[in-house]
Order: sequence, then structure tokens, then C-alpha cells
Amino acid sequence: MKRNGNLFKKLRIGFSVLVTLAATGGTPAVMVSAQEATYDLEATLDIAFASNLTTLDPHLTTNQATRDVGRQIFETLLTLNENYEVVPSLAESYEISEDGLTYTFFLREGVKFHNGDTLEASDVVASMEKWLETSTQGKANLAGAEFVEVDDLTVELHVTQASLIVPYVLADQAPFPAIVPAESVASADETGLTEFVGTGPFQLAEWTPDQQIVLERFEDYVAREDESSGLGGKKEALVKEVVFHIVTDTSTRIAGITTGEYDIAFDIPLDNAAQIESLEDVTSVFSPAGTATYVFNNAQGPFADPKLRKAFNAALNVEEALLTAYSNPEYYTLDSALALPDQTDWYSQAGSDQYNQNNIELARQLVEESTYDGEEVVILTTRDYPDHYNLAIVAQQTLENIGVSVRLDIYDWPTTQEVRKDPANFDLFPMTFAIRPTIHQNPFLDSKAEYAGWTNSPEIDELLVAITQESDFSAAKPLIDELQAEVWNYLPIVKLGNYTDLAAVNHQVEGYSELIGPILWNVGKTE
Amino acid sequence: MARYVAKRLLALIPVILIVAVVVFMLVQLTPGDPASILLGDEADAASIAQLNAELGMDLPLREQFMNWFNNVLKGNLGSSIFFKKPVTEMFWTNFKPTLALALYAEIIAVVLALVFGSLAAKFRGTWLDHAVNGFTVLGISVPSFLWALILVMVFAVYFRLFPSSGYKDLSNGFLPFMRYLTLPAVALGLVQSSIMTRITRINMIEALESPYIKATTARGISSRKVVFKHALKNAFLPILTVIGDSFGGLITGAAVVETVFNIPGIGQLIINSIERRDYIVIQGSIILITFIYLSLNLVIDILYGVVDPRVHLESEAS
Repeated sequence: MKRNGNLFKKLRIGFSVLVTLAATGGTPAVMVSAQEATYDLEATLDIAFASNLTTLDPHLTTNQATRDVGRQIFETLLTLNENYEVVPSLAESYEISEDGLTYTFFLREGVKFHNGDTLEASDVVASMEKWLETSTQGKANLAGAEFVEVDDLTVELHVTQASLIVPYVLADQAPFPAIVPAESVASADETGLTEFVGTGPFQLAEWTPDQQIVLERFEDYVAREDESSGLGGKKEALVKEVVFHIVTDTSTRIAGITTGEYDIAFDIPLDNAAQIESLEDVTSVFSPAGTATYVFNNAQGPFADPKLRKAFNAALNVEEALLTAYSNPEYYTLDSALALPDQTDWYSQAGSDQYNQNNIELARQLVEESTYDGEEVVILTTRDYPDHYNLAIVAQQTLENIGVSVRLDIYDWPTTQEVRKDPANFDLFPMTFAIRPTIHQNPFLDSKAEYAGWTNSPEIDELLVAITQESDFSAAKPLIDELQAEVWNYLPIVKLGNYTDLAAVNHQVEGYSELIGPILWNVGKTE
Repeated sequence: MARYVAKRLLALIPVILIVAVVVFMLVQLTPGDPASILLGDEADAASIAQLNAELGMDLPLREQFMNWFNNVLKGNLGSSIFFKKPVTEMFWTNFKPTLALALYAEIIAVVLALVFGSLAAKFRGTWLDHAVNGFTVLGISVPSFLWALILVMVFAVYFRLFPSSGYKDLSNGFLPFMRYLTLPAVALGLVQSSIMTRITRINMIEALESPYIKATTARGISSRKVVFKHALKNAFLPILTVIGDSFGGLITGAAVVETVFNIPGIGQLIINSIERRDYIVIQGSIILITFIYLSLNLVIDILYGVVDPRVHLESEAS
């Protein structure tokens, strides 16, 4: 019996060790006194970030992860307020010449970079030229444009053709024209910037690839005086540090926000919304995230025939499709317009009679009338984005219901991008698009854009140009309506609706909001 | 002994060459490329092609392989396309958490296995034996990531005893280091211990039946000494094999548990590199893992000779 006693004694000791280990944990100590209201100004904001950052060069890529982190440390000449209208940011103001060919930007004085240098026109010119070189929107909408230094605080933009949408293009969010020092532009290589110096309220402290990005308050930040609205106006870093923890696994993000390890968790799947709602000290924040669509291969294959596109559109039950993709009507709105209702300059209900017809009879008839002769239609999708995948299933069932045979090709996301390059590989894919400041920035409209889909509508091309030639938006409105109607006629895509994404925010965090991505200035932690 | 080690090390080279070729082909033949990932979804084909050319991706495959492998032989595994850091640096940074996790899991597994395997063998047929058997079956059938999720739910979210994810290295102190690693190590260790317990039990049963053990007991040596000092030592060789296999498997295959617990180990490094199509890092990491795994096998083989002096590692002729 002694022998067993010894063994059990050892087991008990081992167990106590484990319990001691567990007990040494606990809530981290909260620091220091606040100076303003009830916020702890020395606090750290711990964020569970869903995407892995591949680059911090905002000129280079449309990746949303780069946008989300980059916008906290970089600033632009112009940006968007809460109504998606263009407002000056690093520019104090700007003027447009009579003929619309010259834009003059007057820079704010005394703005500091994170390395201590003062912002000057030469930095703006170098940054904007770099952005023009690599951004798809810059190249598409500002072909042949040139930025010129006039004096230390004045920069001119010379465009080859007057266009109403130039300020919107300059306020684009991904890639966004971050203003960096001219030296940073000079030291950049083919994969982008090698140093990340901006003018924003936070500066980059540390980037450990695949693990975390740490930003800290930029003490010498020069803020605007006007009231903050959306991405514009006064910005204050109300926390000392923002840590983006890269947590790609959903259950890990949810566990972390539940236990309080993270203050904010991004990209909570809508399926888990009820679970987040049930947590006492966590708030759900829903923000417009983008538009859900189906994109056709307009260049070759069965859908090159507009009749078949119309057939698919006629058969679609949009309610069902969006419910399948987003699981709860609270998380999406049905809308035929390409723009959000808040984007008053661009929002148009034209063509909505073509939307959500749910008319199987008509669809089958249109299939008859089309050139479709029984070949297999290939739907391309990925499981990496569950909403894409669910929309693909709905499309498959809809098509099979009207007598079209379907094959579903499922790959991982990078492979779908590769496969999409060749029009022989697919006929349809579901896609979500981020909110853009203008309709023009949707890649599936312009025939010159070469976006997988290869839209080729002279009418759409003409309207896109005509809109830019108008003097203001009230004059452009009838043309925007025509464009929207033509999109429903030509059907380069089928717009389904607008969806929201869900961020879980700890109740100690105040002031959090999103506008095409998270805004982490003016966000404080109470004690 | 030295000649044996030298021979084994030389034998590594053809293995690594084969692995290099296979990995290179697999990675290059997979659709997707780093430029598309870097530039994003809406980049135009011309920009992507240009960046790929600048990165050297448009050279013929044989040339790309020769360039890369020549450097590997010189000890230069290249640098990440995305982060400009040398592959060796990125690998070793990520290797430390994986090694720590594997060691911790292995210790848990070995302790559990030796203790309960031996006890089950000693008390064969009793409730203890049945309980251990039942538990090992459960441990083998339930995958490690499911254990991980259950442990997180119970101990991290419900009881708030341990953190639900993350990793703190030793610079933050030994106690936090252990706290963050405990749940993942238990998740991995439970599965490994099940296999090891069964092997231990079988080998211990055999050892305990042998005549020399009966003789030892007859001489009055305490039961505990008989089991743990005499029988276990002699039954140890097959157990050592399992330990070696299991440790190798833990080093190379903890990827899922690393993902659930967000531990920046080599599993995560390789998964992330594959998602980004960071070819150089994928290729270099696989080469390094192969090297580590083969070296581990070599160490185990040498340990055979240490644990059991009757084992001759080299052939009689030498």
C-alpha cells in the first residue's frame, strides 16, 4: 500500500502544479490615470484581426487587410466623410480650373511625418506618382495625369481630360494614395515600400509577420480642426497602442472576445451573431461591408449570349440567395442599385424592374430562345469565403431548375484567382465587392478594365465617359440613371444586395465605427 | 560510432535532393502566384506579369530549380518574397514555439504513458487496466484539434483558468510561457500518450512475465522498483521508437493545433506561406523540416546503443 501511496502523492503534486499554473493568470493590470473624460489614455487596444497582412504598401494592392491597417498610419490628400462625400484631409483645400484640366491642392502647413520631417509638396508629388504607377484605379481613371510641385505647399494635378470623378478617385480606399516622404518612395522596390512612414495619428512600432502589427500613438500628430465625420475631420489617438493580433481562425477570435483577451474582434461570421449578442459585455457592430453579385463570363461560353444571362436573372430568387449566404435578413438588404443608399450622388433605382423577378416560366422561355444547347455551365467558387460558396450553390440550383446543366468547380482562393484569368475556365462566379466612392470603380463595367468577366458594352463605356464630362452631379444624375438601367439590360453582373459585416466590441471600448473599413482613431477604452 | 554517424549524415543528401525536387514541382505546379496575392484581386494582368518577371518567376522551371538548389547546397535558403527576411531566420523564429510545444506535449505524453502503461500492465485485468484501455481508445479516436476545442471551451472560456489562444515566449517570464502552452500541449499530448500507453502496456506485460523479473521479485525487491527500475528499463526500446516517432510527428505536424491556439509555429508558417504562394519559404521550410526529422531519427538510433548496450549499430565486419 505504501507504493500506491507514493504514486498517488506524486499525482497529487502534479495536479497542484497544474492548478497553480492556471491560477497565476488573471486579468492584466490596468494602468495609470486618465487625463480626459473617463478614458485610459495609456491603454492598449487588442484587436483580433482576421486577415494576414501581405504588405503595408497601400499604393500597391487592393487587399483589404492593407487598407485596414494602413489607413491608421497613412493619410491622403482627400478622403470621404460619413456621407461618402469627398472632403480634404492633408490638403487644406483644393481648386479646379475652369476647363477642368488642372487641380490645385493647397497643403496644410506644419504637418509632421512619423520620422520628424515636415510634409512638403515634393513628398506629395513623389507619393502620388508612385500611386499612379501601381493602382488599377489610378491607371484606369487618370491615364496620362501628372502631379507637379508648384511651391513647398502647393501641388497641381494636370489631367488629360476633364472628369467629374477625379476627386473621388483620389479618395479611393484600396489602393489608397497614401502620402509618404519622398525618400520612402525612392527606397521602394518592386514589392513596394520598404519603410512605412506616414502622417497619421498612429505610427508603426512593430510588424511581426504572421503574428501581429503594433501601432503606437504618434505624439506629434497634427490634427485637423474641423469636426470628425467618417474618415475626415479631427483625429485623436485616444489609446497608447493598437495591436492587430493576426488570428485567422474564427473560433479563436470568438473565444478571445468572450474571455476579454481581445477588445475588438473583426470578421465574426454572421452565423455567430446570435452568440455574440448573448454576451453581456460585448456589443455587436454591424457595418455596410459590400455588395453581393454574380459575375458572368461575357466574352465566351453560354453566357456570352445575353438571353441566357437574362434567363438566369429572371429565375433568381434574390431573397433566398441572400438568406442562404448571410443567414439572417438583418444582415443584408435587397437593392438593385450598384451604390449604397447613403451614396446620394450615385444611388439610382433605375432598372429595378429587372431585379428579383423570381419568374421561372419566363426564365425557361428565355433559355429556349437563347443559343444554349445543353453544354455544361461551369460555376467557379471557393470555400474560403462561405458566402461565395453558398451563393454558388444557389446559382447551381437555380440554373438546374430552368434546364441548364451545371458543374461546380471549387478551389482555394488564390487558385480561383488564377483560374479566372482564362475565359475558357468558367462561366459564372459569385463575388462580393467592397464599397467604392464611385460607380466607375467597379471593375466589371468598363470594357478596358479586363476584369474577369470581360464586359464589352459600348453603351456602358459611353455612359461612363459621359458622366465624367458633366459639370456637377445634378447634371450627371439622368446619365447615372441611364447607366444603372443599362447595367440591368446588358447584365455584366447580377447585383443581389448589400451585406454587412460584424465586429464584436468589448463594452469598455467607445467610439468605434467603420467606413469601408475600421476607424481606430477617436476610439477610447474606459477604465 | 563516429563513422556510423558520418555515414548516416552523408545518406541525408540524396533524401534531401529528392524532397527538394518533389516540393519544388508541387509548389510550382500549383495554380496561383505571389504577384496576384500581393497586388490584390483587381490588379490587371500586365502588372501581375511584370511583378512576376521582376521576381524571377518567368524563367524556365529547370533554371529556377538549379538556381535555388545550388544556393541550398551552399547553405543559402533564400529570402521571403513578401517580407524580405531570410528563410532560415523566419524558420528558426517559428521553430522555437513549435519545439517548446512539442517538448511540453511529449513530456506530458511520456509521463502519462509510462505511468499508466506500467500500472495497467502490473494490475492487468483490474478496473485500472480497463479504465486505461478505455481512455487510450478515446485518445486515439478523437482528433487533437477536437480535444483542443473542448479544452478551450472548458478551461479557457468556461473556467477562465487558461488563455484561449496565443503564445508568450520566455522573455515574458517562465510562468506565462507555460500557461499559454499548457492547453495546446495537453491537446497534443493526450493523443500521443494514448498510443504510447498501449505500447508501454504491451511491452511491460511481456517484461513482467519474463523469468528474470520473477527472480527479482522472489529476491524481495519492492514491487515499485521491479516495475519501474527493472522491467521498464528492459521494455524501453520499443517505447523509445514510439517516442521518437511521436516527437518527430509533433514537430512536423502540430499545424492544426497551432492554428486553433494561434501559436506562431512552423505549421502556421508553412500554411501562411502556401496561402500567399511564398515559394521560397515553403520550399526552404520543407527542406529544413526534412533535415530535422532525419536528424531526429539518427539521434534515436544512437540512443538505442546507449539505452541497451547489447545493440550494435554498425555491422559486425567493422
